Parts: sequence; structure tokens; C-alpha cells
Amino acid sequence: MSVARDRARYIARRVAGAVPTILLIVTLNFLLVHLAPGNAADVLAGEAGSATPEYMAYLRHQFGLDQPLYIQYLDYLKNVVTFDLGYSFREGMPVRDLIFQRLGPTLLLMGTTIVLSIGLGILLGIFGASRPGSLRDNVISVFALVAYATPLFWVGLMLIVLFAIDLRWLPTSGMVNIAAFYTGWQKVGDVARHLVLPAVTLSLFYMALYVRLMRSSMLEQRGMDYVVTARSKGLTERAITFRHVLRNASLPVVTMAGVQIGNLLGGSVVVETVFGWPGIGLLAFRALFSRDLNLLLGIFFVAACLVIVVNIIVDVIYTLLDPRIRLR
Amino acid sequence: MSIFTRRDFLQALAASSGAVLLPEAALAQGTPKQGGTLVMDVLPEPPTLASYLSTSGPIGQVSAKFYDGLCEYNFDLKPQPSLATSWTISPDGKTITFKLRDGVKFHDGSPFTSADVQFSFTEVLKKFHPRGINTFRGLQAIDTPDPMTAVFHLETPAPFMMMALSGYESPIVPKALFAGTDIQNSKYANNPVGTGPFKFVEWQRGQYMRFDRNPNYWRPGQPYLDRIVARFIGDAQTRSAAMQTLEINYGAFGAIPYFDVARLTKIPGIASTTKGYEMQSPVVMLDFNTRVKPFDDVRVRQAISYAIDRKFVIDNVWFGFGKPATGPISSNFAPSGIYTSDVKNYNVPNGADIANKMLDDAGYKRKADGTRFEIIHDITPYGDEWQRYGEYVKQALAKIGIKATLRYEDVPTWLRRVYTDYDFQFTSNWLQNLADPVIGVDRQYSSWSIKKGTVFVNDSGWSSPETDRLMKEAAVEVDPKKRAELYHQFQKLTVEAAPIVWVMELNFVTVYDSKFKNLVVSPLGTYSPFNEVYVQT
Repeated sequence: MSVARDRARYIARRVAGAVPTILLIVTLNFLLVHLAPGNAADVLAGEAGSATPEYMAYLRHQFGLDQPLYIQYLDYLKNVVTFDLGYSFREGMPVRDLIFQRLGPTLLLMGTTIVLSIGLGILLGIFGASRPGSLRDNVISVFALVAYATPLFWVGLMLIVLFAIDLRWLPTSGMVNIAAFYTGWQKVGDVARHLVLPAVTLSLFYMALYVRLMRSSMLEQRGMDYVVTARSKGLTERAITFRHVLRNASLPVVTMAGVQIGNLLGGSVVVETVFGWPGIGLLAFRALFSRDLNLLLGIFFVAACLVIVVNIIVDVIYTLLDPRIRLR
Repeated sequence: MSIFTRRDFLQALAASSGAVLLPEAALAQGTPKQGGTLVMDVLPEPPTLASYLSTSGPIGQVSAKFYDGLCEYNFDLKPQPSLATSWTISPDGKTITFKLRDGVKFHDGSPFTSADVQFSFTEVLKKFHPRGINTFRGLQAIDTPDPMTAVFHLETPAPFMMMALSGYESPIVPKALFAGTDIQNSKYANNPVGTGPFKFVEWQRGQYMRFDRNPNYWRPGQPYLDRIVARFIGDAQTRSAAMQTLEINYGAFGAIPYFDVARLTKIPGIASTTKGYEMQSPVVMLDFNTRVKPFDDVRVRQAISYAIDRKFVIDNVWFGFGKPATGPISSNFAPSGIYTSDVKNYNVPNGADIANKMLDDAGYKRKADGTRFEIIHDITPYGDEWQRYGEYVKQALAKIGIKATLRYEDVPTWLRRVYTDYDFQFTSNWLQNLADPVIGVDRQYSSWSIKKGTVFVNDSGWSSPETDRLMKEAAVEVDPKKRAELYHQFQKLTVEAAPIVWVMELNFVTVYDSKFKNLVVSPLGTYSPFNEVYVQT
């Protein structure tokens, strides 16, 4: 039971250690976003296509832009500490509500993508590595290379053209069929149908990475002494691959996946834009171009928390895959 | 697809003969039936639904469905009854008496009266609406002698005010829900209560807004549609795809990219129109910063005005959706007599030659490398067309020995550069003339519109006492003939001074599912209530 206690203590320590990291991130983010020229009042008035000086002054005052920077910073820090995250004047809603509304679709898309890309990546990596240099290996390698090299938005558009326009199997965009207003299982099915194209698009890219990583890692492990030992014990190749090599070979993939959670949020901006998926990436994109700083900082904050949590999870997964690794 | 196929030919023949043989009334046939859902694409997602606080375009596209105004407008740009059934304007133009429609109810069931009109104009629009602050500046008070009469008292005549009374521009909000509250942060901002044909139901951020039929709408039997759903698809290609599969039925204001319009409208069941933007009148321009050299020199500005090939821009950048602009006022104002084409004409075949000669004469000689001087050309950051437009301008300027470097930044950065820091030389831009020159044109040319930090006003820094006077007089002139004459003078002088290159009057295009009828019935187009829209089965 001491393993479980060690693990709990380790997690608590990591969480405590994350607090200064997050404060540092918050401060850097704050300074960075204020370096960008132009402010929310300019954009809001610009969208209106017309404005009077009175209106501009009113906007600046309402957004607190007429305050000195350090006061804006202190206000913001206070918001973060109390998990308030402030108010988005542009959207007319508290930032926290806005983010939580969008977190669901994003986590759904990210979760599906992680499962799809890691699952397929590991599987194809094993297939390729089991007979290196064979036709199967070459086909998988070329497929991975093409998937990795093709821009996300283009893949997305081509999938739309094929599956939504030509074949009419799947919808082009959105998360639900909005004219239908489904409920219950029908709604689940509807969301799943809408999820297919964005999840496949986003998965292809990451899958390609994991295929290549897994393949080389498998090949490397195969030359190890323990494999020779296992083989001399008379184990079948299948048993060697799945019981011994797989665990060791998947460590780099897990590391990579942990590092890429942040990237996944970034990549999802493109996919969310192309497929009109109502996630947090799209919200961040919008916040940036409208200089909705409260919202932008809120999203950065949530993303930072997400990355830290995922990193802790990845470290714990290490110990499950390889008991030699100790949590300290 | 340059080959004119047999099928195309037959279709063209059928279309043209149909137009010739069938009278107008027969084309708009069919009895409107109740039912159906219209899915419209709104771009981008509106920030709020408070159209009484913000003139942001996407807000108006949906808010006109639930807020009515005192008037609607016909294609002659004449006000028509809406919540007001009639009106009389006193001879001096300072008193306007509106008779209001009896029996109209807000969506919460409360009756609409003159108190709502008084409150909406004096307490909301005049104080907080970005354009209303200007439009209703001279509005001193509104009397309400009885629940169905509202009398507007103006300090000075304001003939343009009658053009600003639509549900899009000046929505009537219920006094009972707003009075005594913080209007800028009202809980009814995103939960609107109006008198319009559709009621707000829900807003799933990032996904859609839903509006259901208002069964108590004041036009009996209308609206015909059961529901309107607004979607927000950020990617242009995806919007085209969604239109092609009819997942969306309606996209206005360039929701469908210009280069896709021809392809989509070839598909049976999809149609397009450029009508419904007569009260927008966007003009594509190039703005000089007349504070900096060499653009403080009118000869340089005129030379560049000559050097731009309008037809090339229209045909190649905007795929034919436009016509050459002649000056600061759009030809959409021709019906009211305000527009004139009798101004200095820069749109001539040998423009580049004239420009070269003018620059030579003005002393901007070509150097050894063939250039006269170098400039940075900023591109207005509102989409791909503008980048292509910038690339054309660069080439056109190269022909007359001006070396231009293109600069493309994001919206906030560009706005800050052009309207606050004045740190630019020459930028592409566009200006919507809106419902009246006082509302849409004066802001670009008057001395009182040179306001640092205010966007979409006079960025060029040019003005003249004479044009200032003409604008001031026209703003209060009640005689339409005299008013038109003042604006003719204004156009002549401004075009001569060339603070702007007026390149083209842009036609926005609406692409729609042709089983929906009556989508465009007024110059307000998408900013209309859609009460007459129905599905033909």
C-alpha cells in the first residue's frame, strides 16, 4: 500500500509545485498580451463601422483600459487567485462561464483525438516494425509521412468535399444538427456523426508522429538483451512483442503525447475553424483578434492548468508501464 | 470552365425567355404558406444582441428579427410605416409627429405605447447607440400627448433622421424592462424582448441562435416561417460547402466568397442576388494620409487617382461584383437626387500616361532605377480580396514609378495605426455610405471628424472650410432640391482635392436556397425582419 501512498504524496507535491509555475505563466501572459497594439475598444468600434469619440471613451472606461497597467495587473491577479477570471465585455458574459461552455466540446474532440491517434499510431507502428522493410512497412511509412506533411486545414477541406459534399454521408460542420433539435440517444448519435471528420483530421497528423516514433522504438527494443533472453526461453514472437517489447517501446510515445497536449489545443484552432466546432480553440482565436484580453488570459490560464495536470498524469502512467521508474 | 455547353445554353435561354414572357407578378407567384426553418449564416458570431448599444454588423442581422423600428424602407429609399402608421413633418422641419400602431404587443405581452418610443430614443439611442449619439444629437425632447402619438422636437432640422428609423438602426425597446436599470449592462441585452416577428429562444455560444415565430405579431398571419436559426461558421470554404449541401439556406455580406458564387449558383436550387444593400453602399477606396509627404501634394494624389484601373479591380479582384465609383457619395443615392456623376473623372483609359506626366510636371522625376519615390501601402485586414487588391495597387503604382511595399497586419493593429497613431502613408479602406450622407459620408471628410482614436472617421486628415460649410448646410436643409444641390457642390470640390481614391462601389452578394421566397424585399436586405419569408413547396 505504500506505493499508493507514495503516489498520492507525489501528486500533492507536484500540485503544490505547480502554483508558482502558474503564477509565473499568468504574469508572463499578461505582459505579452499587453504588448500587442490596439485594444478591445478599437475592435468593437471597428466592427460597428462607425463610432463617436464619446462612444470610444465610454468603451475604454468600461473595459478598464483607462487604468494604469499595474492596476490592471493587480486586478487580474486578484481575479485569478479567486478563480473569478473576470468578465468579457465583448461577449457580455463572465469569462469562466464562457470557457466552461466551450471546454466540453474541446475535451470531447481532444479525448477522441488522443485515443484515436495513440491507438492507431501504436498499432501501425507495431505492424510496421514487425517486418521492417516489407511492403506493409513501406506502405505504413509513406502513409505516415504524407499525413504528417499535409496541412491540417487542407485535409479537413478535402474530407468535407469527399464525405459531406460528394458522398453526403456526414455533415460539413458544427456539433449538432441545429434545425432538428434532437434529444437523448438521437442527440448522442448526431454529435458522434459531427465528431467524425474533425477528430479524424486532427488525429491523422498526430497519429503519423506516433507511428514513426513507435516503429523506431520497437526496432530499437528488439535488439535488447531481454528480447534475446525471451526468445531463447522459447516464447513466440507475438508474446515477445506484446508482453515485453510493447511496454518498453511505448514510453517515448507517452512522453511525446504528454508534451503535445499543449500543441493539440493549438492544432484544434485550425480544425475547429474549418469544421465550426464550438471549442475553446475557436474562442481563443476570436479573443485574440478582438483583443478580448480577459477572455484570452482566462483561456491561457485554463490551458496552462490543463498541461500541468496532463504532465502529472503522464508521470504516473510511466510508473504503471515501467515499475522501475519511481515517483520521488 | 470556359466551354459554353449545350445545357448551359438551354438554361440561359430558358431563364431569359422566362424573364421576357412572364410578368413580374407571375415570377413572385405562389401563396405564402406557414412553416419551415430558415438557417442563416451570420458572420462573425455577434458579440451580444444589444443592437441598441452596438452597430456591429452581425448583431443587426439577427436583431432586426426581434426588434421593430418606427419605419421600414422601400427601394426608392422612402420611409414606410412599421410601428409608426403615419407621420407629419412641420414646415420648419423641427417637429415630427408620429402616429403609432395600436394593439402592438411586446414578446412579454405588454402593450407598445408612445412611452416606449420616448424612452428608446431619448434614454437609450441618443445616449448609447454609436451612431444614434450623432443622428439624434439635435433631438431635444419627445412629447407623448397620448399613448399612440409621439412628437419629436428638434433643435435644428434633421432631414437625415427619417432615414435612421428602421428596427436595425433604431430599435424600439420596452421601457418597462429597461427604465431605472443600468442600460449598458441590462439583463435583457442577451435575452431580448421586442415587438418583431420572431422571438429569441436560445443562444448556444459558438454554435447557433434560435428564434421562433411570434404568434402575436402585429401583421396578421405573419411571419410565415416557424423558426430562424443563425449559425456562425468561421471558415469560408466550409460555409461554401454547407451552402452546397443546404445545411445553411442563406448567407449575406460576403458569407460566401466571391469566387465561389458563380460555381454555387450553377447548382439547381441555389441562387444569388446583389439587391438588399442599398442602405449600406460600401465604397472601396485608397486613403492618403495627407499629413505626410508626398501626399500633402494634391498633384500626387490626383496622379495616383488616375493610375488605378477601376475595371481591372472590379473584374479581377471582386469577380465583377461592383461598379466604378466616381466620388465620395455612392450612386445608390441617385433616387434621392443627392448623387452626381458630374465631377472630375479619373477613370480614363490612358490614366497611367496622365499620371506619369503629372508626376513629371510636379517635380517627382524618375531616378536612375526608374522609381520616383517609395511608400508603404497598408492593406485593410478584412479578408483575402483586400490582399489581392493591395497586390494590384502595388503593380499599378510601379507603372508610374512609385515603389510600394505592402504591409498586412491584424485588425486591432491596423485600426490603431490608421485611426489613432496616424502612422501610415497610404492604405486601402472602405466606407459604408449608410442611409444618408450625414450618417455615412460626413465622417470621412469633415474637419470635425478628425478625431484621434475614433475608428472609421476622417483618417486622411483632409478637410476644407468650403466643404465643411456645404456639409453643415446640407445636414439641416429640409428642401430636398436645395439639399441635393449642396451635396453636388460638395462632391465636385472633394473629388478635385482627391483626399481618397474612390475605386469602386462594392456589391455585396447574398447566396440563398431558392425554395425560400421574399428573402430580399427592401434595401435593408439582411437587416430586415423576414416576416414575409416563406418556403415554396
